[in-house]
Amino acid sequence: MTLLAMRLRGAWNGISRAPGRYLFGAVLLSGVFVGVLAATRHGVRFLEDYPAIGTIAGAIEQRSLEALFTVLMLAVAFSVLTGAIATLYGSHDLPFLLSLPVAPARVFSLKVVETYVNSALLPALFTVPVLVGLGIEHAAPPAYYLIALAALLALYALPVALGALVALVLMRVAPAGRAKEVATAASVALAAGLVLGMRALRPERLNQLTPTQFEEALKRFAELKVGWLPSTWAGEAVWRALQGQVAVSAAVLAVVSVALLAGVARVAAAAYRAGWFRSLDAVTRPGRVGALPAAVWERPLARLGPQGGVVVKDLRLLARDPAQWSQILVLVALAGVYFISTSSLATELQGLRDVVGALNLVFLGFLLAGVGIRTAFPLVSLEGEGFWLLRTGPLRARQIVLAKFWGSLPAMLLLGGGLGLAVADRLGVSGPLTLASPIAGLCAGLAMTGLGVGLGAAFPRFDAASPAEVPLSTGGLLYMALSIGYAVLATLVWAYPSYRTLRSPGTFQWTSAEGLAVLGAVTLLTVLWTVVPLVYGSARLDRYESGVG
Amino acid sequence: MIDVEQLVKTYGRVTAVDGVSFRVEGGEVVALLGPNGAGKSTTIKAITGLLRPTRGRVTVGGHDLESSPLEAKALLGYVPDRPYLYQKLTGRELLRFLARLRRVADGEARADRWLTHFGLQRSANELIETYSHGMRQKLTFAAALLHDPPALVIDEPMVGLDPRAAHDVRRLMRQHADEGGAVLLTTHSMDVAEAVSDRVLLLDRGVIAAEGRLEDLRHSIGRADASLEAIFLQLTEEASAPVEP
Repeated sequence: MTLLAMRLRGAWNGISRAPGRYLFGAVLLSGVFVGVLAATRHGVRFLEDYPAIGTIAGAIEQRSLEALFTVLMLAVAFSVLTGAIATLYGSHDLPFLLSLPVAPARVFSLKVVETYVNSALLPALFTVPVLVGLGIEHAAPPAYYLIALAALLALYALPVALGALVALVLMRVAPAGRAKEVATAASVALAAGLVLGMRALRPERLNQLTPTQFEEALKRFAELKVGWLPSTWAGEAVWRALQGQVAVSAAVLAVVSVALLAGVARVAAAAYRAGWFRSLDAVTRPGRVGALPAAVWERPLARLGPQGGVVVKDLRLLARDPAQWSQILVLVALAGVYFISTSSLATELQGLRDVVGALNLVFLGFLLAGVGIRTAFPLVSLEGEGFWLLRTGPLRARQIVLAKFWGSLPAMLLLGGGLGLAVADRLGVSGPLTLASPIAGLCAGLAMTGLGVGLGAAFPRFDAASPAEVPLSTGGLLYMALSIGYAVLATLVWAYPSYRTLRSPGTFQWTSAEGLAVLGAVTLLTVLWTVVPLVYGSARLDRYESGVG
Repeated sequence: MIDVEQLVKTYGRVTAVDGVSFRVEGGEVVALLGPNGAGKSTTIKAITGLLRPTRGRVTVGGHDLESSPLEAKALLGYVPDRPYLYQKLTGRELLRFLARLRRVADGEARADRWLTHFGLQRSANELIETYSHGMRQKLTFAAALLHDPPALVIDEPMVGLDPRAAHDVRRLMRQHADEGGAVLLTTHSMDVAEAVSDRVLLLDRGVIAAEGRLEDLRHSIGRADASLEAIFLQLTEEASAPVEP
């Protein structure tokens, strides 16, 4: 508890030094809370009032809650292993903590709590308004809120504890000096497995059902029970608590979580210190002695001056740092799944193909927003404690920000434009949408790169242990809010040509005044979302003071 | 070469540096000394552009760090007290990157020269994460000297260096000044300061408590044979002594 109190005191000191920043974050979070709460309450009322499913509404709500728990638990599992490795073995304060006269298992416990906060805090924060919304709509007793919160905390403790356990084992068995790489590879494999597993459910089959079959599917969904899944235990615990009862599954969840945490603590007592020593090993190969010339691919970039030099350096670090390249692999897997999923919705009917094509214009914005927070947003923060090298060099903050922007833009444009083009081609959408799709992807790629790099520069976290940790900040929340704002506004702009294409095929032309107006509006929106954050980020980074605030 | 005028830096209600002024000319080594928390690091960070002064002005080679930061920084080489470098680059790649950043024309040849000078040529193609603390410190020196800067700012130069490297660094600082460069260093090692510096600035609680050549400082305390350590102890003791009612 002393270690935890010390950490909490540090966090509190950080807040009291810059209260404005945290207040801003709290306001943003409150906005998200209110939004999710309203959506949950609306959803529950819709289900309860809908005539065809009103009788099984409760069961559908419970299954939906379990599905939400499952998805978020998987999301935690998705990132927890690399996070656990970084926190358990890569934290800067470990040399100090492990030199104290305290048991290594206690240090480990503190780091598990930190891993929990880093990996599960955001999913937990997004789940709380859902549980509150359910409680309000069902007029739940006060005890419900306590039980629901406890179930939530216990549920997310499971992947965190498992992640910590796997990290402990990997650090003991992986080849010396390679433990972090092996752990990252395992994490990527796990993530890819989860993505493929989700894809294996083939949700597009719902598209082929008749209304009767769809109702039947909903009934089956309502009856579906997977008793061995912890998310089912949590769902059951929450559901029974709504009715003022304590479910057996609540006790099962609590016992399993506590037992797992105790088991991990036991293993840690024996293995943590030894694993820590192994993590300090680095691979030293008998390298080539003598001057090695710059690689061929570096030379054209290096001719671009200091900014080209920054891009070359960033590409080298990306290729060598498993915490960075693993993010890219996961995102490529997600993009692949998006392409396959959207393409599989193609039907014989041109009208339906155009509907999916129009939806694709919307989804592309959201997809690239999700990609941007993992790729563009952390770029400035990834300079880490080496930032002083750039800061003391003859380079303006604007040049640093632009170097990051140009470095990440090609990949984002390739992803956005490529997906837009490929999906439109695969679906066989009508003429206007064929052009709109790649343009939507390119614009979203451009805007999300500018927004991500700009806000990442405005709110840098040079002390983050891994790229995944960087977005857990005020800047990350602001990025999410503004990227959703872009996607919504872009949807409104793209709605017009989509509507015209669906309503009166063949009447909309991009070269007409209305077509040019749509293109102008998208361009203006994209330029605004790209340039303003870059200017803002450059100005903030210019004022950034090393070791202050 | 380095001109600090009425430098003030505050953090909230705390004033870390309060109206400090000094100049480091080409051809001299100046040691900035002071007890912990005296404001040395803040002063150094303000000179290198890592901090922005609350008030006052810093110029390097006549270029104001606020209005002409690129020109000013181009003339500076900086060695921080903690050598944080990009772990996943090799030593050679780091120097190549910095040569590009500073537009050094013959960067490869200069990198080779400094790697050899600091005995790092055998590990130049290894990742920096495999380097010892001392090797990183040497690489940081190589990085600071790569563009042949007329002004060197060095924060705690001897931390982590073995005796031979420490000896080399002392000689290097002296040589840099003898060739016309300006060197500003902070150190807690009175031996180093005494051995290489032409002048001493004693900073205490954000203000300059004493300044001058070693002889001047001896004269100021009235002890002709006093070591720099004795001078330091006496002056900082006087400054921290309670005022008699």
